[in-house]
Amino acid sequence: MDNKPIQLLLVEDNPADVRLLRELLKEISGSSFVLTVASRMSEAQAKLAAASFDVVVTDLSLPDSRDLASYRNLRMVAPAVPVIVLSGVDDESLAASAVREGAQDYLFKTGLDAHILGRAIRHAIERHVAEQKLIRSEAFYHSLVEHLPQNIFRKDLKERFTFANQRFCQLLGKSLEEIIGKTDFDFYPPALAAKFQQDDREVINTGRIFETIEENVAPDGEKIYVHVVKTPIRDADGRVLGTQCIFWDMTAQKRFELELQRKNDELEASEAALRKSNEDLKSAQMQLIQAEKMESIGTLAAGVAHEVKNPLAILQMGINYLSKKVPAGDESIAMVLQEMREAITRADSITRGLLDFAASKQLTVKSEDFNQLISDTLKMVRHELNKKRVELVKDLAESLPKVAVEKTQIQQVFVNIFVNAVHAMPEGGTLTVRTYCQQMTETTHSEGSRSSAHLWVGDTVVVAEVEDTGTGIPQEHLAKIFDPFFTTKPTGVGTGLGLPVSRKIVELHGGTIDIKNKPDGKGVRVTVRLQVRRENS
Amino acid sequence: MTKKRILLVDDEKSLTTLLKLNLEETGNYDVRVENWPEDALAAAREFKPDLILLDIIMPRLPGGNVAALIDADPALKGTPIVFLTAAVRKWQVEDNDGIICEHPCLAKPATVEEVVAMIEKHARK
Repeated sequence: MDNKPIQLLLVEDNPADVRLLRELLKEISGSSFVLTVASRMSEAQAKLAAASFDVVVTDLSLPDSRDLASYRNLRMVAPAVPVIVLSGVDDESLAASAVREGAQDYLFKTGLDAHILGRAIRHAIERHVAEQKLIRSEAFYHSLVEHLPQNIFRKDLKERFTFANQRFCQLLGKSLEEIIGKTDFDFYPPALAAKFQQDDREVINTGRIFETIEENVAPDGEKIYVHVVKTPIRDADGRVLGTQCIFWDMTAQKRFELELQRKNDELEASEAALRKSNEDLKSAQMQLIQAEKMESIGTLAAGVAHEVKNPLAILQMGINYLSKKVPAGDESIAMVLQEMREAITRADSITRGLLDFAASKQLTVKSEDFNQLISDTLKMVRHELNKKRVELVKDLAESLPKVAVEKTQIQQVFVNIFVNAVHAMPEGGTLTVRTYCQQMTETTHSEGSRSSAHLWVGDTVVVAEVEDTGTGIPQEHLAKIFDPFFTTKPTGVGTGLGLPVSRKIVELHGGTIDIKNKPDGKGVRVTVRLQVRRENS
Repeated sequence: MTKKRILLVDDEKSLTTLLKLNLEETGNYDVRVENWPEDALAAAREFKPDLILLDIIMPRLPGGNVAALIDADPALKGTPIVFLTAAVRKWQVEDNDGIICEHPCLAKPATVEEVVAMIEKHARK
């Protein structure tokens, strides 16, 4: 920097002084100068306007300008150029006034030497640069503070406002003067003011930044949301002098978020409803398909059963006739005929089952004691249980409400269930029969049922659970167990009609039957639910 | 003792043949078979049965119609008719006290004993 010559404008009308200055400038070591001289203020102003100078050295007493006016005239034209005033002994107070107005320095012409002049010029330039930087910096920060869309204020340790930007002043509807020295209690409801001061104290005590989004009240009383950042103000030694707070309104954003959340919730709710109705539809479709299947099977079954009965009747007659013709003592023919008779009985029972399944029979229901019905039915299969060494565990609830059923029909259902259970435990096991009363907490419908039998939430039902300790039902069979003719039992043992007929009967009673493997995987649980109807209904 | 005269009307030839055999085997019945429902009325007029065993589901003329013709015929009026049919099931018969379409009814397949019991109960004495 030192290599660059300093552009110096000397404003001086006295040729002797100009000469003196020119000589002194030459003597200044470490700096070189390009000297331009103006002998009048008008000339000086013209030169300042035409070229740029690093420093101006001026006499205040000029032919066309005098005293402080001279300094002001220069200042006006070149506010950014440092000025050094040359002063005579007699006008020192005038020179000092110029310095107060912004001149960098003043020098006495008398006794001026190269050293003093050089130092004064250098200092003037450096100081001026520093000042300009400061001014720019302050303008920068001032502009930021006043133009940011945030509210900014500062408080001292006693919670008095020491600064507020224009935005905050406008928010409070007060001038800066009306705010300085006041506290939150002068502008906000007491509870809110106390809360603000508590936050300030936290910042002061911890020395940490405090940031939050909080509810606030606008001066018009409207509730708003603001984002607040409070920081401690420290002195050079790090001591906390007060707090600075920046906050901004984010009500719109918050409302938008809340609205978004609400919309999102709505969307999720309607999506869930949609998913639910889709599942309902799917399930209804499955039931419809199943119902169609059942219906056609039912029609077919009725036709087949009828057509089979006539040939059976013929065989029956034939056997009756032959039985009477058997020579006495011919055991083998008698045995053959007996086998044939049993075969006819079996075939007849199958066709009867088919017709039961296909028929929509009107029930003749009576009010029955459910536990009694179960116990009576268990007696019917006691022989089977004993034969297979199946232990019976009865867990029947006391004082069950009565159920309106056709006893023989429901007994047929339980005979089927008990026999199935025994068949599932060829090596013996435990048959558990449990009854209880329950209020439905969900609506049930047998999948694939063609009837509209439903149990609704709130319906009171008596429940019978029948559990075996057998092998369970393989997953691939579970969906088919209610299909007519589906059986895993050897010919002659199972007709494949027991469960379809059982379900039909239960549904005619407005109940449901449900068959699942037990959660522990050891056996099957059959659940029969029958609705408890009010009297006379 | 004179044998009871039974007219058996059923389109199933095998059934009629065997039932006739069985009934005659008892030595108590004289059985005439008619496999064509349209011929039943004429056969009845000629045979003058003590009881008619009548199938219901037959081609061209159902048993119910045959029964109506017989009931309406002055010469045959009062002749007992028992339906023997696969169209009903045992419980339906039981539920209706054995009477279907104003006549006793027996569900197929029935044993000879059941048929005989029916005849003995309803045949003209």
